[in-house]
Amino acid sequence: MLLRKVGFSPVLSTALRLAPSATGSARPTESSLFTYNGRLYASQAAEAVLDKHATGSETATKTSTDKKTSDLESKSFAVNMFKGQISTAQVFPFPSVMNEEQTQFLSELVGPVAKFFETVNDPMKNDELEKVEDGTMEGLKEMGAFGLQVPSHLGGLGLTNTQYARLVEIVGMHDLGVGITLGAHQSIGFKGILLFGNKQQKEKYLPKLATGETIAAFCLTEPSSGSDAASIKTVAVQSDCGQYFTLSGGKIWISNGGLAEIFTVFAKTPVKDKTTGEVKDKITAFIVERGFGGVTHGPPEKKMGIKASNTAEVHFDAVRVPLENVLGEVGGGFKVAMNILNNGRFGMAAALSGTMKGVISKAVDHAANRTQFGNKIHNFGVIQEKVARMAMMQYVTESMAYMISANMDMGASEFQIEAAISKIFASEAAWTVTDECIQIMGGMGFMKDAGVERVMRDLRIFRIFEGTNDILRLFVALNGFQNAGKQLKGLQHALKNPIGNAGFLAGEISKRAKRKAGLSSGLSLHGTVHPELAESGELLVKAIEQFGGVVEDQLLKHGKKIVDEQFVLKRVSDSAIDLYAMVVVLSRASRSLSQGHSSAQHEKVLCETWCLEAHDRIVNDMKALQSSSSKRLFKNLRSISTAVVENGGVVSPHPLGF
Amino acid sequence: MNCTRSLMLARVLAALGPRSPAPLSPCALYTASAGLFRSKHASLGQRVTRLPSRCFNSSARRPDAKPAPSSERSDQERESSHTGAGKTLVTYEDLFERAARDSRTKATFTRVLEVFCKEDVRRRGHVEFIYAALKKMPEFGVEGDLSVYNKLLDVFPKEVFVPRNYIQRMFNHYPRQQECGVQLLEHMENYGVMPNVETKVLLVQIFGEKGHPMRKYQRLMYWFPRFKHVNPYPVPRELPRDPVDLARLSLQRIAGDLDARVTVYEMPSTDLSESGEDSSQLYVVGIQSPDQQTLFSKHNPERPVFVEGPFPLWLKKTCVYYYTLRADPLPPEEKVEEPVDPERSFFYPLELDLDLDRELGDDDDFDVDEVEEGPVFAMCMASSGDQATLSKWISGLQKTNPILGRTPTVFRLNSGPREIQTSSEPERKEDEDLLQSREMTQ
Repeated sequence: MLLRKVGFSPVLSTALRLAPSATGSARPTESSLFTYNGRLYASQAAEAVLDKHATGSETATKTSTDKKTSDLESKSFAVNMFKGQISTAQVFPFPSVMNEEQTQFLSELVGPVAKFFETVNDPMKNDELEKVEDGTMEGLKEMGAFGLQVPSHLGGLGLTNTQYARLVEIVGMHDLGVGITLGAHQSIGFKGILLFGNKQQKEKYLPKLATGETIAAFCLTEPSSGSDAASIKTVAVQSDCGQYFTLSGGKIWISNGGLAEIFTVFAKTPVKDKTTGEVKDKITAFIVERGFGGVTHGPPEKKMGIKASNTAEVHFDAVRVPLENVLGEVGGGFKVAMNILNNGRFGMAAALSGTMKGVISKAVDHAANRTQFGNKIHNFGVIQEKVARMAMMQYVTESMAYMISANMDMGASEFQIEAAISKIFASEAAWTVTDECIQIMGGMGFMKDAGVERVMRDLRIFRIFEGTNDILRLFVALNGFQNAGKQLKGLQHALKNPIGNAGFLAGEISKRAKRKAGLSSGLSLHGTVHPELAESGELLVKAIEQFGGVVEDQLLKHGKKIVDEQFVLKRVSDSAIDLYAMVVVLSRASRSLSQGHSSAQHEKVLCETWCLEAHDRIVNDMKALQSSSSKRLFKNLRSISTAVVENGGVVSPHPLGF
Repeated sequence: MNCTRSLMLARVLAALGPRSPAPLSPCALYTASAGLFRSKHASLGQRVTRLPSRCFNSSARRPDAKPAPSSERSDQERESSHTGAGKTLVTYEDLFERAARDSRTKATFTRVLEVFCKEDVRRRGHVEFIYAALKKMPEFGVEGDLSVYNKLLDVFPKEVFVPRNYIQRMFNHYPRQQECGVQLLEHMENYGVMPNVETKVLLVQIFGEKGHPMRKYQRLMYWFPRFKHVNPYPVPRELPRDPVDLARLSLQRIAGDLDARVTVYEMPSTDLSESGEDSSQLYVVGIQSPDQQTLFSKHNPERPVFVEGPFPLWLKKTCVYYYTLRADPLPPEEKVEEPVDPERSFFYPLELDLDLDRELGDDDDFDVDEVEEGPVFAMCMASSGDQATLSKWISGLQKTNPILGRTPTVFRLNSGPREIQTSSEPERKEDEDLLQSREMTQ
């Protein structure tokens, strides 16, 4: 309804004619006539991430040529920093991918959406009812919030990742419960259809899903299987005629499980290996309709936070799924799941940067108005430090979210490490920021009426779901090590033929010699960062050099067994996160400075402060990893944990003796 | 230590020399000290026991143990005491031998002790008697009984050997008695018997607070409680009598896998052989864990498996024998390393695709040389180690491991240290077709 007002603008007219099609009859014949070129690009942005053979718009072809070069040398900053190199292609200058139309379209959307959440949606009531109010739900559907990234010819708004991030940020600022309902629906629920679905599947399901007529859910987790695909117990057996699968099994903690009509379900299917003829259990993704029969769900789970969203068990009892509902290939479910998860993470960072924004304004409001000892409390140093840190974290998260969404829109294929980093950083930063907000507000923050405790409860799950932060840390570190290892192998290979590779070797050897001697190895961000930020740029370069050296040392030290060195991996990924955070703020602050934004000086201070502290953290971690004391520390930690586990709790007796 | 001790002994003897009936020559002194230390020298032992005792106090603990009227003694006891008195060690052993004529039990053993105590107020020859008793303890089956040790300790006269002044304390006071006390405690130690407070009270009464036996006691009490639960899988005190139960117990100990399943392939009672002879000896008990089963199912049926044995397993003093079904270690060219499924973890790689050359300095792990052995698929215990009995086990195993039907089985049996049943004749009544399906070679 709110969108209707916006709909008078010419840009929006097509989107709106398609979006609220309650009958779901928006057929591509008509809509494609109205589709802009830009729109086409936008709708393909989500897909472009997967395969680069997109046709049509010139931008898409451009990305495909880019891709060819990137096959040889990765452009991802995160991949390169593990090699001790700096790749500025994706991060400098801070990317802006939206064309004018897209920008205008988005800016026209932002206002009404924000207004909707301010006036219509009542997060407290949602939390109390443990469901999103029906009115709000209807409003969201009418706005098209359920099909933000569905191509416009299929009835969605066809937003790019960047546009999506901007809207999700607003949702996150106001109500994470609603955010989860929307996210579980489109970020993971039907993302599979968007990414991997064939034409028929898209045309069959997406129009109804885009309008919110049907709701989607993503069914992966099982009682016995969290991150371990091998322990998935749900099975799908192909019929003798090959025309359908019989799917049986139970999934737990499914967001929207009680509301959804369409499920993306992952199940094991026996698949015959084409070359060896061996039959193996492989994961396949299915689109399952509730209407197929045999789909039941449990009562809504009682949760700590995000109460407004529906979470339930879903059971599949001999559900007959036709062959055409297989998503991707039979046996290709793992790839489907991986891509859905990888593609959805940036949204979390965007939503949480919004949450932080909201929480910070509450904290600042309190700090500016509360008087103690005849002084406003924002004048006290401890409060100032808190506020400053909160602002820094929000700035970093926001920069990360839009950097990654822009990279994805540019058609980058390597954004997985960055996306994982953004999820880890955002969820932890949001937790800290909200915690500090409650601290600043004191007793007031602890009360329900302040509305921050709900945010705190809602936030907790973000460090857990879609890959816990601990597991994603392993992902970040191991992915980095894999890439660094490949490069090192290349170097070792070159060493076998020193004469033929003289030039390459000379460079590498001098780089290492310089690193050993503590000199700069010639990396520089000179000319890429704004001159006013040169000092922070130096810090980043130094940190990367040290980081690259340690990564190489650890690789040589542990070889393949680095996989089992989780104490090391954790520290390496912590540093990787800090490094990436440094580069995104440097990039963003540089842009603001060079564009002469009014806030440029403020951003410069944010950036400098962040870089100072992050550099120190990285240097400390790297030093610790190289010293022998870390070995002892890890051994101690391991032994303490073993003792406590063996004892089934703390080992030491009570100080009072009983 | 030894030197100083024997020196001290020599001095004691020298000091006592003039008062002793037969003064010791330097040469005899040497042997005396050596013999004392070993406390095996019978003749010297006598000499020392003849050293005059100053006084005699009976145990405060047992006032009723005072010399009883001789009329109370039975004839047999008198006879034994007559033969025992003044004679050498052997006589004390005879005492036990005679008592053992009826039965070798705790009751008879303690009766001998009581008789000895009642016989003579001075308990003459108690050291020899205690040594003899210690030697006989295992025969009477009381080597693990604390109360018997305490009774035996009670044979020592009380307070006689307690040093009274610092000189006595400084030199080895009544060395032979102390040595005997230490030996007794050592005997306890060897059989894992932990002393109790009564032992301590007795030792204090006999040798005083600081005597060598008391030190030994303290050492025992320091270490024993520490080692009491050192073995988390103790062998039960009483082993089961039933051979099947015993086999079950021992197999479970070998397997070390709680999931392993014990199967009794042949019960002793069920098998009544056609000739009607007593074949209750026959049993086959096997064990196999699920891991072994899956390992076996992956075995290449072209390679033979071996039944090997017997291998000994000691459960305390009982030795049992077991047999294994195993294969040769895989030759390196057939080894397939199970690759980690790349589609296993949704969130992070479980394995890195790395193949780095590493220099010596890079790798700081220890170099461990591993010797590979062939996999063991199952184990069993049988009443006899002949091929016929063991093939019952193999045919039983085949039901749960169908691959065994396609795999040649080779029996590689040693004759083993055990005399394999002399009377057992191979009973070939198991399914011939099963056996034929297998190539059997010896």
